[in-house]
Amino acid sequence: MLAQVLAVIIFLLMFLMIVMDKIERHIVTLISGISVLLFVFGIGMHSWAAIWRTLNIQSLFHLPFWYSAGAEEASSGINWATILFIAGMMVMVEGMGRVGFFRWLCLRIAKLVHYRTIPIFITFMIISGILSMFIDSITVIMFLAAVTVELARLLKFNPIPVILSEIFCANLGGSATMCGDPPNIIIGTSLGFTFSDFVKNTGVNALIALIFSILYFYFCFRKKLRASGDSGSDDFQYPDPRDAITDKTGFLIHCVIFACAVVLLVTHAQTGLTVAAIGVFIAAVTLLVSGKNALKLLKKVDYKTLVFFIGLFVVVSGLEETGILEMVASLIGSLCGDNFMLMIGIILWISAFASAFIDNIPFAATMIPIIRSLAETQGAGSLAILAWTLSVGADIGGSATPIGASANVVGTSVAAKEGYPVGWGYYCKYLAPATVLVILISMIFLFVRYV
Amino acid sequence: MGKQLIISIGREFGSGGHEIAELLAQEFDLPLYDKGLIKHVAEKKEVDSKSLERYDEKPRFRLSSRRVRGFSNSPEEHIAQMQFDFIRNLAEEGKSFIIVGRCAETVLKGNKALTSIFVLADMDEKVKRVAGRMEMSPEVAEAYIVRNNIKRKLYHNNHAQGKWGDSRNYDLSINSSRLGIEKTADFLASYIRERMARDGE
Repeated sequence: MLAQVLAVIIFLLMFLMIVMDKIERHIVTLISGISVLLFVFGIGMHSWAAIWRTLNIQSLFHLPFWYSAGAEEASSGINWATILFIAGMMVMVEGMGRVGFFRWLCLRIAKLVHYRTIPIFITFMIISGILSMFIDSITVIMFLAAVTVELARLLKFNPIPVILSEIFCANLGGSATMCGDPPNIIIGTSLGFTFSDFVKNTGVNALIALIFSILYFYFCFRKKLRASGDSGSDDFQYPDPRDAITDKTGFLIHCVIFACAVVLLVTHAQTGLTVAAIGVFIAAVTLLVSGKNALKLLKKVDYKTLVFFIGLFVVVSGLEETGILEMVASLIGSLCGDNFMLMIGIILWISAFASAFIDNIPFAATMIPIIRSLAETQGAGSLAILAWTLSVGADIGGSATPIGASANVVGTSVAAKEGYPVGWGYYCKYLAPATVLVILISMIFLFVRYV
Repeated sequence: MGKQLIISIGREFGSGGHEIAELLAQEFDLPLYDKGLIKHVAEKKEVDSKSLERYDEKPRFRLSSRRVRGFSNSPEEHIAQMQFDFIRNLAEEGKSFIIVGRCAETVLKGNKALTSIFVLADMDEKVKRVAGRMEMSPEVAEAYIVRNNIKRKLYHNNHAQGKWGDSRNYDLSINSSRLGIEKTADFLASYIRERMARDGE
């Protein structure tokens, strides 16, 4: 009982501190994690076994962690596969950014559509969605938003509608694959799903939703963009995509590494390489080819996010080991009874609503043991359906408010720094209805396909 | 102090700090930057100043903002930062000016040309001034003053380490109710002249 109370108090305090944003969130989760180890497992449970299970270091020395013939093995405690994969992708993305890949891609697309405002608007939405399937949405939006502002100044259009649409599509694209958004990688590695499992399920949903989203944003913003975008003047030099490349050889090498990463991820169920192995391999190759820049790349890795994940996994383990999450699961289970449709609806909308206001990563991490328990009572195949529901809700729900997802914060920040501030009112006026629309579409998709 | 002269004036709402700043600007023939500063920032960024004005000198609301890898979604924070950069650049270029509010005493801390002043006043004087200027009843005016001072305090303390109105952060803190606006401005002008003379020696 003491352990349960302590686990809940630490968890709630952690969430409160993250929302308050007074102390950096990685410090919050790290202190919370240490508190769970000391007070919940140590004083409350007197269990070395719980500490050992949570630290989960032994998993690193098992072959299935790096190579598994079938689906990846499910795990609990600190999800080292997620940490290693995200770290690996961070190194790769830093390498790509260093040689100018993202800026080149954005300018190349703008050139392909002859620097016309509406085609730029639509193609940037699509590229935002596609890139976010493989690269973290923060990086995608950081570069896309910066180029959007640059083009907006040149072509005299308001960049805010374009940036907001890019943010939405980045979150949507992230929901399509196992590596698109951190909740997905945690869901995939914790429950043993593969990249292609995600593509065949959340990917199809994301594709349908993307089509509706492009239409929605087109009808919302076309007049604004047309009115402001017709400068009628050509007295300026269009930026040359080639100028974005800082190192031609490095550019080609990093393009090949990115292509390899995509191929390895898409085929990992066939090759048996786990996402942890892929992350480490890609990072190692990137560092090897970067030569003297390797140290710079390593320094740029966002270690704070990695620490945030480690602390978070420990806190969630505290809830799991003390049986709190099982209690929450049985509460949801008794609320839904045998009605699986209702269960999907509840998980989808709660995930979406919660992610609109709080970080979707701790939310998803907490929900995974819950859906695992729920699935045990619902029969074969239900775990996967609940996983897709959680993934879609947590990934897409974050688009509704400016603080719901990292891409939103980065996109609006880049715009504001350039003199285009985006308040809650303007943001929610367009993106909250879009989020509700896409969640509705996703609900219909989930019902039609799985129930 | 040499040739460059920068005067920063923090002020309570209704204390007459802005009028004192105007008088000092006339006295020393200096450009005055106040809420109009946002127009200069907008010009530099080639954007419409109206879109920035609503976030000027406003505090960041913690629950509605979030930080990710050094990025913040708070427009208030970005607008404040742009203004800080602007006045910092002016100071670095060796320009002389008077700046009202905008945490200038903190932003320009350490600059030898800076004289930092905080103007306060008794509540009844503030109420009289605000009620007259804005055609409000004294009760409404008092509530309005309290609200605005809370906003200024939150804005300041959000961006500066020292507390708003704490005399330790300023060269001078002065109650404008004691001498009245003009005499307070005269007193401050003579203080500044004295400092200029000493620094010129």
